[in-house]
Amino acid sequence: MIKTLIVDAEKCSGCRACESYCALKHEQYCSPSRGRIHVVKWEQEGIFVPTNCMRCEKPACEMVCPRRATYRNFLTGAMQVDAFRCIGCLSCVFACPFGATFVDQDSGSVLKCDLCDGDPTCVKVCPTGALTYEEISKEAYLKIMANADRIPVLVKKAVGED
Amino acid sequence: MYGWVGKILKINLTSQQAETESTEPYIDKYIGGRGIGVRLVYDHYVPGTDAFDPANPLIFSMGPLTGTAMPSSGRTDVTALSPMSNLRAKSNFGGYWGPEVKYAGFDHIVITGKSEKPCYLWIHDGKAEVRDATHIWGQDTFETQRTIQKELGDPEIKVVCIGPAGENLVRFACLITEVAGAAARTGMGAVMGSKNLKAIAVRGSGKVRVAKPDEMLNLSLDVNREIREHPACKELSNWGVVRFISMMYQLSFFPVGYFEDVHWEDIINNFGGPNYVERFQTKNVGCFACPVRCKNFLCVPEIGKGFTTCEPWSGFTGSVWNLDMDIFWEAITMANRLGLDSTEVSACIGLLMELNHEGIISEKDTDGIAMTRGGKEAILKTIEKVAFREGFGDILADGQKAFAEKIGKDAVEKLDIVKGLAPHPYEFRAYHGSALMQAVGHRGDPLPLRGSLIEFEWHNAPEWFQQVAKAQFGSEEAAIPSSYKGKALAGIISEHNERVADSLGICTWPYTLFIFHDVTKAWQFFQVVTGKDWDIERLLTTAERIRNLERMFDVRQGISRTDDCLPKKFFETPLSRGKYEGAILDRKEFEGMKDDYYKLRGWDIETGIPTREKLVELGLEDVAGQSPGKK
Repeated sequence: MIKTLIVDAEKCSGCRACESYCALKHEQYCSPSRGRIHVVKWEQEGIFVPTNCMRCEKPACEMVCPRRATYRNFLTGAMQVDAFRCIGCLSCVFACPFGATFVDQDSGSVLKCDLCDGDPTCVKVCPTGALTYEEISKEAYLKIMANADRIPVLVKKAVGED
Repeated sequence: MYGWVGKILKINLTSQQAETESTEPYIDKYIGGRGIGVRLVYDHYVPGTDAFDPANPLIFSMGPLTGTAMPSSGRTDVTALSPMSNLRAKSNFGGYWGPEVKYAGFDHIVITGKSEKPCYLWIHDGKAEVRDATHIWGQDTFETQRTIQKELGDPEIKVVCIGPAGENLVRFACLITEVAGAAARTGMGAVMGSKNLKAIAVRGSGKVRVAKPDEMLNLSLDVNREIREHPACKELSNWGVVRFISMMYQLSFFPVGYFEDVHWEDIINNFGGPNYVERFQTKNVGCFACPVRCKNFLCVPEIGKGFTTCEPWSGFTGSVWNLDMDIFWEAITMANRLGLDSTEVSACIGLLMELNHEGIISEKDTDGIAMTRGGKEAILKTIEKVAFREGFGDILADGQKAFAEKIGKDAVEKLDIVKGLAPHPYEFRAYHGSALMQAVGHRGDPLPLRGSLIEFEWHNAPEWFQQVAKAQFGSEEAAIPSSYKGKALAGIISEHNERVADSLGICTWPYTLFIFHDVTKAWQFFQVVTGKDWDIERLLTTAERIRNLERMFDVRQGISRTDDCLPKKFFETPLSRGKYEGAILDRKEFEGMKDDYYKLRGWDIETGIPTREKLVELGLEDVAGQSPGKK
């Protein structure tokens, strides 16, 4: 079964290691704004939301690309951009419903998460477990279990057994 | 250039002119961060200039590793002439501001002059702009950041700012970034306020170049894993320092009240910190790229949100005889919003309580507020009155000494200050190496240092830590709190390690104190990021140069051996209770440790001033004017 990058924003501490290491890995220098992941932060509230490609089933980025530069890597499930075909129109950046397709402010080139070919760097450095790389079926199963777990408790409460 | 982004930004607020200078000529001798900061303040500060004079340079320093994909690389060092000590100021803060300055294109920012009207600086992608802050003046540190982010239309702008305390020139006002990232000590907020400078806002889309990116990534992934697997990281990232606090009280490492009779049973048995964290912590947060996350983010209904770490946990509890954690949290939140150094303000409150307890002052001296130990009003009202300079707070805002002098001789006798500051709150009667490092330190509060913490850790496994001390500091006794031996070298090695971390722009906690105890790891990063093949000895020699230059700045301000002292209480009043009952500092032994320290440093024993030979050896002959020794 295919693995994917899963974000649990509740755990994020906002440290931006993911952005920083991502840029180093892909660009060979340190610049969080070149990360293929971005943490939206409400510092005074202690709320941090890592934003990353959702690898949609019907990806808007792929559909709007006039040059068919955006394509799916079927080995990893990642949506990638063929730099030779890309003309830098940024249609994919603006069409993404999550704002998870980024752009290099200097060069104008599109920055898109390629899941590091199936071994994501950001996951390795995330100190809180906010980012994980899991099999989709396993993660979905854990969600079902977590949800189901609540039912017996609620039933007990309802009948006053607690 | 790799690591450094290459430019020093110099802004004169009087003329509103900005210029830049290259960082490169400073690197070989001072690395960056704190080191270059020390050289800049030595060169830009004109002796005789008052701390609040527009000519006092306020300097922010990032290092070559700040803002890189290296764990815990988000530190900024701040210096100027301190309005508290009239010596070189030194403060350091984390968060996300320093990295952003580097992405905006600068390694250092030097601010001189004074704006006619309240202003703030807006630094973005190589440009600097002075903007009006009349409408922000008076806002607390939280509001200030929000207002600026809104005004400039970008919530990702990083801001370091002052609160009302800095505006009102409270001598121990601090700088705040985010909710509690503070350049707390030595009064940098007051210097910023004296320039009519409310805040510095930064945003950058630039980069820090890396000489060996693949090696850097591999090293950094390894170190990241190593840090996260370390027990100290596990504790700090879940609990912060809070669970250590009770232990520190048990071992008389933390004093109670104003360095009073330690071993307060109530706080040992009923310290509510861990429980408070369990109830109100939403998560732990940290600085840029930091897996350690030592800060507890608390959300307390009715009082507010924010984070804290380190000293406030004891400052607003034991130091002010307080066990009510809501008062603790309210005090911290107030101090952060108003922009006050928590350590100094809690020591001020401790002093008032001590004076009141001894009958030296009464509520008449404090605007009708009784300074009873642990009193809620005493704690919270004092913070407010100091920040706004109301009533007795107006005098206390000029420091503990100013207040005591106003009361009279009895009060002055009670003062526990070192070089104008509240000393680091460790119990120096029982921990002798800590006492030495505190006394000879570069500012009134130079701790924590590794050589000091090992005296605390020693209790956990004495023999083990003696071996550790032998390996790192050359003497088993360096780890034994009650010993006077081996402390000087432990102090010197610790001081050098600290300067390496501060000059590289990384956090001392993981890289010198809690995870890695020396700078080998930091040095490895230095090599792969900057591409410089310096050996570790060269980094440490540079640290020694920095230490000597710091000393020469203070020598120029008139400091000498007699200033390297501790309050007389530590030599005269033994501890009456607790694990270290009867402990006291022996003056002769204490002075002996200082002799050792000066000798090993190559400083003149009589005066505590670096000798000319030492300065020449370090390539500092240009500052050797006041040194003893042959010309």
